[in-house]
Amino acid sequence: MTAEAARFTREQIETLELAPGTKHEKLEGWVPEIAGENDLRDALEKAFDYRGDVTLTLKSGERVEAYVFNRLPGATLAASFVEYFTPSAPEKRRLSYADIARLEFTGKDRAAGKQWEDWIRKYKERKAAGEKGIALTPEALD
Amino acid sequence: MWTVATYVLKKKLGGNQRYPLVLMLEPLFRCNLACAGCGKIQYPPHILKKALTPEQCFAAVEECGAPMVSLPGGEPLLHPQIVEIVNGLVARKKYVYLCTNALLLTKRLGEFTPSKYLTFSVHLDGQREHHDMSVCKEGGYDIAIEGIKAAVQAGFRVTTNATFFDGTDPTSVRGFFDEVMDMGVEGIVLSPGYSYDKAPDQNHFMGRARSRRLFRAILSNRKKSWKFNMSPLFLEFLMGKRNYECTPWGSPCYNIFGWQRPCYLLQEGYAETFQELLDTTKWEDYGVASGNPKCANCMVSCGYEPSAVMEGFGSVKGFLGMVRGTFNKTYPDQQAQAMLDEAAHKHAPELEETSV
Repeated sequence: MTAEAARFTREQIETLELAPGTKHEKLEGWVPEIAGENDLRDALEKAFDYRGDVTLTLKSGERVEAYVFNRLPGATLAASFVEYFTPSAPEKRRLSYADIARLEFTGKDRAAGKQWEDWIRKYKERKAAGEKGIALTPEALD
Repeated sequence: MWTVATYVLKKKLGGNQRYPLVLMLEPLFRCNLACAGCGKIQYPPHILKKALTPEQCFAAVEECGAPMVSLPGGEPLLHPQIVEIVNGLVARKKYVYLCTNALLLTKRLGEFTPSKYLTFSVHLDGQREHHDMSVCKEGGYDIAIEGIKAAVQAGFRVTTNATFFDGTDPTSVRGFFDEVMDMGVEGIVLSPGYSYDKAPDQNHFMGRARSRRLFRAILSNRKKSWKFNMSPLFLEFLMGKRNYECTPWGSPCYNIFGWQRPCYLLQEGYAETFQELLDTTKWEDYGVASGNPKCANCMVSCGYEPSAVMEGFGSVKGFLGMVRGTFNKTYPDQQAQAMLDEAAHKHAPELEETSV
């Protein structure tokens, strides 16, 4: 939990009628400006929360397509790490923040763009058109 | 029940502060449904293609030591080695709950062997129309029912597992309980939905006040024919008769990323080992007592049922409460009946608009 997140009182929690949903930040296609250490830390925190691949450009010039599933912030950039999977390798990999020069949110955000209301609207339209077996299907993996 | 009771007592006598009851072992994230309330499967294809090996599953089970293992996902029946995983867990005398939407259950049933250690926990969110809308698949209910009946017929233990969101009609839920008990299931499992921040639907997560009213309406004036595969104290918690703090380490989660921090629902990072998870998670940052907004609406079984079970088997008062709740308790409540009547009036003309 981030330090600045507002905390609820017990009374607020117990009287909550509807839980506020999350408004998603549109990150797909974003290339954060990395002017300093804090920018890099903030961008990698967003990459960790992002449900799509990102492209990391290393200080060596190598480019790595990665799904960042964990971050281990430390006192210095050299002591801070991201953990990720790449599309081409089966094993987990780890990279120091200090090795990262640039970050791009290049992959599709898999948590964006699907709304309950859209499903209800489409369902009603297709039902009215006489369609049967109406369903949302998971996206193809290939 | 005996296994869990002795496990809890041993841990308590051993002075263990934090110990797991149910390992949530996610062997894969891939699913054959795209439910609106689910925040578990929104990953790039290369992540959805990954799966835990049987060896990784067994290592996690040994490391954690919980007496029960829940296999959610994703859809576990899509895992090519799920039979090997289940057989390995049963051989270790773990009580396995294979959580499935049952779309493939009839087809794959013959690969499994009935055992007292294996239960198919079939995802059913309510009566036909409600379930189909909830899982965004017309016909999903009928396929699941076919699977349930086949599994019961073949001698497997079967429970149903329902998640409820805002707009749920309590009268319909009670009708649903009648339906599933008639199918011969061993018990019903239920929970309010958690506000996954990655779920497509962000507008129908109930807060605690509304959850308590809904479950009070559903679970009061209970029929004796209904059986629940849950702690009676947890059901009383849902009805607003008890208050518990969250026990996030009670249902730890392991998947392809590692040991999920802090719980099955939140993804705030991963630990390499179960011990590291226990030792390095800032537990005081989670649960309603922390005021953490991410925990504010949560009354989900993975956090609060361990609290109820630990009270039930960990104190005389809790044990007596559990006994009272287990035997012949119908929870008569006139106000709850009035809530049902009111809900029936509200839902009748607006069923199509409010079904979730």
